[in-house]
Amino acid sequence: MNISVLLKQVPDTTAKISISNGKVDEDSVSKWSMSPYDEYALEAGLQLKEATGGNLIAITCGPERTKKMLTDAAAVGADTLVHIPIEGVKDNTHVQKLLAAAVERFDSSVILCGKQAADTNGGSTGPGVAELIGAACVTLVSEVNFSDGKFTTIRPSNSGIEKVMVDGLSVFAFDKGSSELRRPNVRGIMMAKKKPIESISSDDLGVALDSSSLIINSQSPPPEKPAGQKFEGAEHVGEVVLKLRNEANVI
Amino acid sequence: MRIMAYEALDFYDVDSLLTEEERMVRDMVRDWVDEEVIPKIEIACREGVFPDEWRVALGEMGVLGAPLKGYDCPGLSYTAYGVICRELERGDSGLRSFASVQGSLAMYPIWDFGSEEQKNKYLPKMASGDWIGCFGLTEPDYGSNPGDMITKAEDMGDHYLLNGAKMWITNGTIAELAIVWAKLDGVIRGFIVEKNDPGFSAPEMKGKHSLKASVTSELVFQDCKIPKDRILPGVKGLRGPFSCLNNARYGISWGALGSAQACFDSAKDYAMSRIQFDHPIASYQLVQNKLSWMLREITKGQLLAYHLGQKKDSGDWIPEHISLAKMNNVDIALEIARVARDIHGANGILDEYPIMRHMANLESVKTYEGTHDIHNLILGRYITGIQAFTRGA
Amino acid sequence: MGFTVIAEANGDSLHPTTYQLIGAAASMGSNPTVICPNGTGAEEAATINGVEKVISVNGDCFNIFDGGAWASSLSSLCGDIILISASPNGREIGSRIAAKKDIPVIQDVTSMTEGITVSRPIYSGKAMESLTVTGSAVITLRPNSFEAALAENNAPINVVDQSADVKISIQEAINKASERLDVTEADIIISGGRGMGTIENFSHLEEIADTIGAAVGASRAVVDEWGMPHRMQVGQTGKTVTPSLYIAVGISGAIQHLAGMRSSKYILAINKDPDAPIFGVADYGIVASWEDAIPSLKSALSELQS
Repeated sequence: MNISVLLKQVPDTTAKISISNGKVDEDSVSKWSMSPYDEYALEAGLQLKEATGGNLIAITCGPERTKKMLTDAAAVGADTLVHIPIEGVKDNTHVQKLLAAAVERFDSSVILCGKQAADTNGGSTGPGVAELIGAACVTLVSEVNFSDGKFTTIRPSNSGIEKVMVDGLSVFAFDKGSSELRRPNVRGIMMAKKKPIESISSDDLGVALDSSSLIINSQSPPPEKPAGQKFEGAEHVGEVVLKLRNEANVI
Repeated sequence: MRIMAYEALDFYDVDSLLTEEERMVRDMVRDWVDEEVIPKIEIACREGVFPDEWRVALGEMGVLGAPLKGYDCPGLSYTAYGVICRELERGDSGLRSFASVQGSLAMYPIWDFGSEEQKNKYLPKMASGDWIGCFGLTEPDYGSNPGDMITKAEDMGDHYLLNGAKMWITNGTIAELAIVWAKLDGVIRGFIVEKNDPGFSAPEMKGKHSLKASVTSELVFQDCKIPKDRILPGVKGLRGPFSCLNNARYGISWGALGSAQACFDSAKDYAMSRIQFDHPIASYQLVQNKLSWMLREITKGQLLAYHLGQKKDSGDWIPEHISLAKMNNVDIALEIARVARDIHGANGILDEYPIMRHMANLESVKTYEGTHDIHNLILGRYITGIQAFTRGA
Repeated sequence: MGFTVIAEANGDSLHPTTYQLIGAAASMGSNPTVICPNGTGAEEAATINGVEKVISVNGDCFNIFDGGAWASSLSSLCGDIILISASPNGREIGSRIAAKKDIPVIQDVTSMTEGITVSRPIYSGKAMESLTVTGSAVITLRPNSFEAALAENNAPINVVDQSADVKISIQEAINKASERLDVTEADIIISGGRGMGTIENFSHLEEIADTIGAAVGASRAVVDEWGMPHRMQVGQTGKTVTPSLYIAVGISGAIQHLAGMRSSKYILAINKDPDAPIFGVADYGIVASWEDAIPSLKSALSELQS
């Protein structure tokens, strides 16, 4: 069984984001990491591999630096490492097409990914790739199991959680999983060093990247917070709660 | 998912010189220390226990006996070993002491001086953390002068009989085996003593104000009988224990930096948040002077440690190289801890902050593995050719 | 450009976000078509100002949420610009419709102006991105970011039957009382300090937490002296948290506590001492005792929910 896991490398979620010339300055990012929800997907993939004896294929779309993330995935057990080189910010539709082509090229039996990337916070990749390959998609899952030839998964429901069974090929997009990504060990690290990374270009995948209909105008720091406001007396509570909704937009 | 990833002070980008493997090992240990050690270390220190889960985790990560090759040992570079020590000691010097003793003082002598049978019997289960080792050299009356030790081994034909006592032995009480240095017919030899050997006991030393999250013991030999096959055949004299100590000291030269970086981090954060006279204390010149001095010393220490690691890996080193690095980096780390405590003001004495734990630990680190003054004299002898350790000739 | 709004339901009626989607379309000078999956809220949608027509879609596929099936059913009914709520289901349907039509999807937009120019938060709110859409697109709107339309209309309703293949099935539904979130996971935290008086008084904070889906935290004093569980402790020797909103009740704001919550996006402090250091970091400070402020806070938050 080929288990494809879609991974994205993002600035570490604790890193400061700095903006210059109307764009997020990627060169000043001090630490790049695997997107947190993708870690849950990778762990679930490793557990599926152990349960079914399958082959775990780690796939990423990104610049040269993303190869380190693939090696890190190998250190915890990824079997095949696939790098699709792209430079600069790309329209998510391009990324979806590249990943969909890769997933099909490797004859995937199941596709796992995080529910959304920590940088773009979009969440379109999982369902978008599913649509392109004609597969089902279940999002916000916390685990995936395989038995009797079918995949089942757990996702939230209105009154708690529900166990869902899927007919045929599916993408599973992970929220916080039931298991944290395992730690590597020295043996895994030493074997990962030797694992080759397969680089596949958009041409190899037969994907034409036309120009995008989206224009990124600018990236900017979030709006300045207003100066702290202090109120005397509990009679102001209602007023403050409205400010929390309308000014701060946090509830 | 990690909440706050630690970013080590690395002003001259020394870590960019690490190989990919060394970087991955660093990140593995760093993340583990963040998740499993830092949240629990203050309690462990208060209670004076070394949590057994840490032994298990170190074994699972595969970092014990880091630079040793073969026999299921990690086979990493010396630089990687140094990085492991640094990351562990950012958590606690006692934690790093556990790993130093296990790897450099207990596994290494078996690896270098043991028979094939001994290597195959002991090394794999020590690498996995299943069996803990300790190193018995120091005695109550013989510390800086190990050559005059009085622990003695007698050849009784079908066994050896050990008599004497060792003191200040990290891991002693929890160890399955001890590498014990004793005089056999006046010549220092190494012996593997297992915990159930008759006549051997390893009581814990209580009442320490330093390395509290580490087990420190006495080893007592009262007509202790050990089989003949327990002697380390490959070495005689002080070269044996000193080879081990060189490796441990090398690790400590990196380890001390971890402790220094932890103190610097805390001092900087504190200085930026603590407001007095309407301004953060980081805005006052005397505080900036202290932080700037710390930055200089840590940066120098990092370059020292890294270059020493390269020399260890290439084989182009002498013990005096290690003396310089151990002495320097521990000395500055202790000073940094003290100055960091000063920056924290009264808050610095609480275990809310790691400062005084590091400070107290470093007092031990400055003393063990060759005191500061002994390393000083090792370098003095190197420069002048004249030994100044003793009053004799 | 023709705007289509895909309605979001809340039980048998429309979710308030649907009114916001329609209001957003109207603010762009459009009279949107509203699509009601499963027909839910179709009559209600017809009363909303700005709506040109409502399409009530019948289909078995709407009995269960399979994003692919819903998108399959609804996609052909959509126009050039498709607005959906940025709820989990909305984002999934939006992604699939966009991929099906080979048009971009822009998620979680917080403002929209002529162009069509939209802005949205990125890097978990550490930055904002402004984009212009030059062709067709799916745009999902963040709840409570757009003005809701009023309801004085009477638009026509078309009923269509359009189902699609469902590829998933529910094996088991497990009802469970939602576990209270851990402080490290919650987007809103309400914490109590010594000013709460006794550990029993924390029940008031727990009630508020349950109302708004927040986690409950505690200062070190309360953990050490009253025995609150250590996992609730926020501060130097507890957890470091970065929620969107941190509500500190009866907490003075000692440096050790601040170390744990200083990076919260917004801080609301309630303390009866006007000189408490916490007010120095609070975005909103209310000088009042918890006994006075908490009941008002509870009712104000409940009102907001409804």
